[in-house]
Amino acid sequence: MQAMKQFITTDEKLRQLVHALSKNAWNIISAGKEGTNFIYINDGKDLVINADSKPTKLSAKEFFFPKTEPLFFYKKNHDGVDLLDPKDVLRKTVLFGVKPCDAAAVPVMGKVFNWDYKDEFFNRRVEQTVIIGMACSYSDVYCFCTSTGLSPESSKGSDVFLKPAQNSSYIAEAVTPKGEAFVVEFSSFFDAANENDVKLLLNSPKGPEKKFDANQVKQWLDGHFEDPLWNEVGETCLGCAQCAFTCPTCHCFDIVDESCGYNCGRRVKNWDGCQFGLFTKHASGHNPRGHQPERYRQRISHKFKYYQDKFGEILCTGCGRCTRGCPVGIDIAEIAQEINKRNSVLV
Amino acid sequence: MQELIQAAQAALTSKEAAFIIGYALTPDGKKTRPFIARTPDEAAKLVFNHTCAHNLAVYLTRIAKPKEGKMGIVAKGCDTRAIVALIQENKITRDQVYIIGVNCSGVTADVTLPFGADNLPSKCIMCQVQVPPVSDVLVGTAAPYDKPKDAVTERMQLLEAMNEHERFAFWASEFEKCIKCYACRQTCPMCYCEQCIVDKTVPRWIESSASLRGNFSWNMIRAFHLAGRCIGCGECERACPMDIPLMLLNRKMGMVAMQQFNYRHGVNPEEPTLVGSYNMQDNNEFFK
Repeated sequence: MQAMKQFITTDEKLRQLVHALSKNAWNIISAGKEGTNFIYINDGKDLVINADSKPTKLSAKEFFFPKTEPLFFYKKNHDGVDLLDPKDVLRKTVLFGVKPCDAAAVPVMGKVFNWDYKDEFFNRRVEQTVIIGMACSYSDVYCFCTSTGLSPESSKGSDVFLKPAQNSSYIAEAVTPKGEAFVVEFSSFFDAANENDVKLLLNSPKGPEKKFDANQVKQWLDGHFEDPLWNEVGETCLGCAQCAFTCPTCHCFDIVDESCGYNCGRRVKNWDGCQFGLFTKHASGHNPRGHQPERYRQRISHKFKYYQDKFGEILCTGCGRCTRGCPVGIDIAEIAQEINKRNSVLV
Repeated sequence: MQELIQAAQAALTSKEAAFIIGYALTPDGKKTRPFIARTPDEAAKLVFNHTCAHNLAVYLTRIAKPKEGKMGIVAKGCDTRAIVALIQENKITRDQVYIIGVNCSGVTADVTLPFGADNLPSKCIMCQVQVPPVSDVLVGTAAPYDKPKDAVTERMQLLEAMNEHERFAFWASEFEKCIKCYACRQTCPMCYCEQCIVDKTVPRWIESSASLRGNFSWNMIRAFHLAGRCIGCGECERACPMDIPLMLLNRKMGMVAMQQFNYRHGVNPEEPTLVGSYNMQDNNEFFK
């Protein structure tokens, strides 16, 4: 196997890189300050590269799958209707300081957006974006990346991956051809790393303790569509979409038409969430998931069973946002742990 | 704690209550979350501590009413306002609920941090009901705690000092953040409509897009629907993943109800609601 191409850069150089990107009309997005969101920046001094920071409130998915996105605009004319393509020219975009749990979610979502129908809206955003991931040394009681097959140093989904080293420097790995091309294009900010540079790497962050075994969770789910557990965990769920909307991998959407007056309007794709009662309600009035426990079972099963069945990996990267923000303290890792416990009793 | 468990077990054993909506510890023992006890054994898991921030009254209109027995609920003083408001609005009757009132010593704003003056939600800073005014049985003790200055009050004064353009710009920047997850609605004990106006599609009154226009419509209409009805528990703001300061709006509405009509919702179960009653002495000067 060919060794990953490694480079060395510094905090200062990355800030200068922002300046260069800005001059070349790139969209530059940086992780926000502690506990905030990703922000658009134009100035190197606004760049936040902090391995210790808490995950942003919303994940990076909004840059590939926005909370609301027009599919087309329509306008009535004398003969009929004009359809207008909303796809404005996307500028080349770079996302700085993306945590492994956010970056890994992009290829995971990519599977469903390229399964039968190729979602050009998602794909063109991915194609236009360079993801600069970064090793993460933050960990709180809600984090569980290590239970989802990732780690604080997973470069999955990143095009370039930064690992902090001594003296405010970073070892940068070009993970994908796109990442390599980016480093080559902006080579004045990245030097080839030699053996001594690599020795400067800081100790690998430990990450959260492993909380559950996802394969065992799936095994249990295979045989427990009906189970008292669903009522236990689902009956106090109040049915909002905080979990789904802050999740880096949840990708359900609704399509609605909105008028801008009598003669014109647009069709938009909006985030939707499976905990809403309306999500599965049929036009007839029948709702196959009429109660919250059934909706909660869907959430867990989609994450750990259905996605695994269909695409070979789980729909969760362990960022912990769903639990961190749940108004009634429902904890997905704890439910997976409980399932592990029940599984081991059965075996 | 034992007092709470005994009260719950007594209500379940005597079949006075069919279940008790209360709080239980999470497996790590550090936090609590809503828990519904149906048997005396389950009731042994009930707890009350500084992390019990949730207003459980929301479940009274979400859970199917039992065929026999009352809906038991563990309620702080602030939560009892929601229960009284639901009685005033004819959603429940007083004899359908069995209230285990808990004397409260304040709850945390952030459950992962220790309780203290720098970790108090606004409702606890402004609290005047550490002892629940309505209950069937009262447990626990209410210890005094240090209350800092209320940041919400200060922010509201700043907002009141703005002109309408500045205020519009302020709310536009706040509502822009909204992602339409409806956590505000789902956690609100007063948001109990069987079909929320935002979910109506024939016709669609409010755009479901999380665009600025759709977000403005949603948040403003929700505020209007809560005018004179919000009981100030702050659950919407606590639940909001985008930290939109919804209580600035809701508390302002409550203040207007008080100034204009000398009305406070959720205080007296016998009193007609503000929007459901008319009084010749009502202040009419805003009709122009």
